[in-house]
Amino acid sequence: MPEIKVTPLGAGQDVGRSCILVSIGGKNIMLDCGMHMGYNDDRRFPDFSYITQNGRLTDFLDCVIISHFHLDHCGALPYMSEMVGYDGPIYMTHPTKAICPILLEDFRKITVDKKGETNFFTSQMIKDCMKKVIPLNLHQTVQVDDELEIKAYYAGHVLGAAMVHIKVGSESVVYTGDYNMTPDRHLGAAWIDKCRPDILISESTYATTIRDSKRCRERDFLKKVHETIERGGKVLIPVFALGRAQELCILLETFWERMNLKAPIYFSTGLTEKANHYYKLFITWTNQKIRKTFVQRNMFEFKHIKAFDRSYADNPGPMVVFATPGMLHAGQSLQIFKKWAGNDKNMVIMPGYCVQGTIGHKILNGQRKLEMEGRSTLDVKLQVEYMSFSAHADAKGIMQLIRMAEPRNMLLVHGEAAKMEFLKGKIEQEFSIDCYTPANGETVAVTTNPSVPVDISLNLLKREMALGGPLPDPKKPRTMHGTLIMKENSLKLVSSEQALKELGLNEHQLRFTCRVQLQDPHSDSDTLHRIYTHLKSVLKDYTIQHLPDGTVMVESIVIKVSSSAEDANAKVLLLSWSYQDEDLGSYLSSLLKKGLPT
Amino acid sequence: MMGETEAVEIDDILDDWFIESLKSYKDLHVYQLEHPTQIIEWTSGKTVCVAGYSSGKNEILELCLPLKLLADEKKSLCAERDFKVVHGGFSEGPVCCLTHIPGTRCAVTNDGLTSDLQLWDLGADDTDVIRKTGSLPGTSVSQAGSRIAARLSSPPQVLHGPQSSSVQLTQLSTGQTLYRLEVDSTEPLSSLKFVSETTFLASCCDGTVYLADTRTSAPPQASPPPGECAPWWTDASAAPQCRVIRLSSSGQAVVSDLRNLGGALCRAQLDVQTLPRKPEDVTVAWAPALDGCFSVSGLSGLVQIYDSAGWRAEPQDASPLFQHAGHSVSSQHGDGSAPVFITTHVWHPERPRTLLSAASDGSVHVWDWVDPQTN
Repeated sequence: MPEIKVTPLGAGQDVGRSCILVSIGGKNIMLDCGMHMGYNDDRRFPDFSYITQNGRLTDFLDCVIISHFHLDHCGALPYMSEMVGYDGPIYMTHPTKAICPILLEDFRKITVDKKGETNFFTSQMIKDCMKKVIPLNLHQTVQVDDELEIKAYYAGHVLGAAMVHIKVGSESVVYTGDYNMTPDRHLGAAWIDKCRPDILISESTYATTIRDSKRCRERDFLKKVHETIERGGKVLIPVFALGRAQELCILLETFWERMNLKAPIYFSTGLTEKANHYYKLFITWTNQKIRKTFVQRNMFEFKHIKAFDRSYADNPGPMVVFATPGMLHAGQSLQIFKKWAGNDKNMVIMPGYCVQGTIGHKILNGQRKLEMEGRSTLDVKLQVEYMSFSAHADAKGIMQLIRMAEPRNMLLVHGEAAKMEFLKGKIEQEFSIDCYTPANGETVAVTTNPSVPVDISLNLLKREMALGGPLPDPKKPRTMHGTLIMKENSLKLVSSEQALKELGLNEHQLRFTCRVQLQDPHSDSDTLHRIYTHLKSVLKDYTIQHLPDGTVMVESIVIKVSSSAEDANAKVLLLSWSYQDEDLGSYLSSLLKKGLPT
Repeated sequence: MMGETEAVEIDDILDDWFIESLKSYKDLHVYQLEHPTQIIEWTSGKTVCVAGYSSGKNEILELCLPLKLLADEKKSLCAERDFKVVHGGFSEGPVCCLTHIPGTRCAVTNDGLTSDLQLWDLGADDTDVIRKTGSLPGTSVSQAGSRIAARLSSPPQVLHGPQSSSVQLTQLSTGQTLYRLEVDSTEPLSSLKFVSETTFLASCCDGTVYLADTRTSAPPQASPPPGECAPWWTDASAAPQCRVIRLSSSGQAVVSDLRNLGGALCRAQLDVQTLPRKPEDVTVAWAPALDGCFSVSGLSGLVQIYDSAGWRAEPQDASPLFQHAGHSVSSQHGDGSAPVFITTHVWHPERPRTLLSAASDGSVHVWDWVDPQTN
């Protein structure tokens, strides 16, 4: 039976590293290639030995597709392509292609320079890896080869995030990556058409949650900023240029305006330039509001938010500063942090995940004393706030997406089966589809029922119609005989005569004969008549004729009776049939071997 | 093609209320369930059950409160704001009443159509499915739904009944009736609540309350309605406060001592809209950790919190200490459709000012309000 195989790579139940293998129509595709941020050893990389025990992956994979730039989806890509070895195409959207290398390089610097690790990819490897990338546009079908085609859909979540539709012949799979079903201030909501894939593959991490509203997250953010400003403190918000920074700026601008606040808000210049550049490039990836704003004026021209100068950090009084990099591991944000950390009136708000080894990671783990360069210690007295603004779909979102895409089967990765039983039951009940929940390292084979479209010759169609019976009905399959001709990419069903003609072959007829011995004292003609009567009563639906030339015909099968030379009371029946009537012929011979009724 | 909704007007209203909320709430979480719930029932200090009440199949969910709300010292370092669905199951009919049996992983439900009860296993660590384990027949006479109450007991028992004449205490495992309330009146109940291990309060819609002891078959203490304007709703707080509050649909509130139900300690007229109400619309609840404070929902479109500390015997007008307007302000319904109403609310058993409230549009709010008097 045709089937699609899906294997989430990895071991055990851990989340945090996406890398899924799909085998469809003879093609092998790798979906995402993430790094597990919790491990320091080889466990952080996906286990590629599943694909091949040794050697390069090029021969085993038809393509690799990356859904978005988060490290748990692309962090292991340079390791896979340059250290394990893969030279085939790597697909991702334009924004992902632009942003991925920046994050990978940052990540590499932290891991190698800060943590002193050696078995890690180099800057050159990141560059070489990105050379293999083929960028995707939304809703554009891309032919990976003659048989495999892929298409990207908008996923929301982060700039450039995509859901991917993969098709081989009439089998297809959709992989969601990370997505969200509610729009936010700078991104729209995920959308897909009723593409009815055989399997919809999604993360189960947030499938069993009910998300707090984005407005409450924003409320918490504004409350913390406002409280700090009110007591004369300073707020540092380390950001990555293209993540939530833009959104938080819009939020603060609106708030400052509404509350008529006077404290200055700054945005480090490096951020502005980079962000402007990328948003201009990827304007189609943001939502309607942002596009309208951008057309009217410069993205980062706010009334209350100004460009930062490093000297401002020493100014007295309350202020808010957005600075890069996002994990406080270097640069301006770290400089400012060092200046402000000692004052308990101040606050640092971390809007996202921080990689191990960074100061961000340490303070989020509660560390209040930090060892800095030159063996000096930094006392962390300021308030540390961890806020999550990332947009993910929850239990309701998954149901909405299934309603949109109408998959034939559902597959949820990265979840514990015991904790997925309810959701699995809910999906199966509501949509009458199967829901699979493989463990990491486990392969699920989903049987598909692909329809193979075949052209039928008019000749054959007419012949079938002449046989009578009900009109062709897609719900009522009908068996028919013909010859299947596969030429180039087309499939044609024709009658055997037509096929022979097309192939320039002569038709040969095969005829079988069989002798059956019967004990019967009657005359030859009487026996023949008895055979005729017997068959007529047994084979009611068939055409049986008693011909004047002394034969009985059942359809095209000829039966003759002659007396046995050795035994006067025995008859020899001669049955003869053509190859087409093989079944009926064998049946008749066994039937007659049993003898005639008295 | 990206899915977007731009409801600008609602956003503006939200903005005002939300900005005000920066000062008036310490914590605020807003959730949207797929289907509205009429019940919120604590199953542990961190988990609650909610369930649908539509006429067909409904979900029963056990939700774990967001970690950020529960984390005390490490609050600022915790970013988790979501509910986690820890267990879920399906009910064939509506769930109008759900009571957790303390000391077990069992819950008892009633569909509001008959007095029969359904028994559920809420599940342990090895599964996330809530399964129906059986049922207990109610009295066959009644066409109305039952009220349910339970307290810690061994073996587990449940107190239930649709009206004052058919309240019984049943042993869960055997279905044996251990006690029956000896009362002739067939008045429908608005609530049943244990006030101690052996005593309970059966409150009727007409305002009558019965205080009974399950150890004796002697008739219970009865207290007639304290005024007009049924239906009435009641809540009792256990020792040491021992207070009973009765609230009428016109907003009259009467507080009595549990040990002297006939006498009224104090009265007040609450600031509510006087419209006809169904018994299931209104919830009144004493704050478990704020002496003298109680909450009301269903009489005004908001959850109101009153402090009865300054009340006197002569009735006076009382203003709410705090009002939660979140549900009506952030309602998803546009013009033309029915306004959103609050279906139920509960206090957190220990955190003094934390409540959970649910509304007819499927919203569930978790909020920790700031006492305006301390500002």
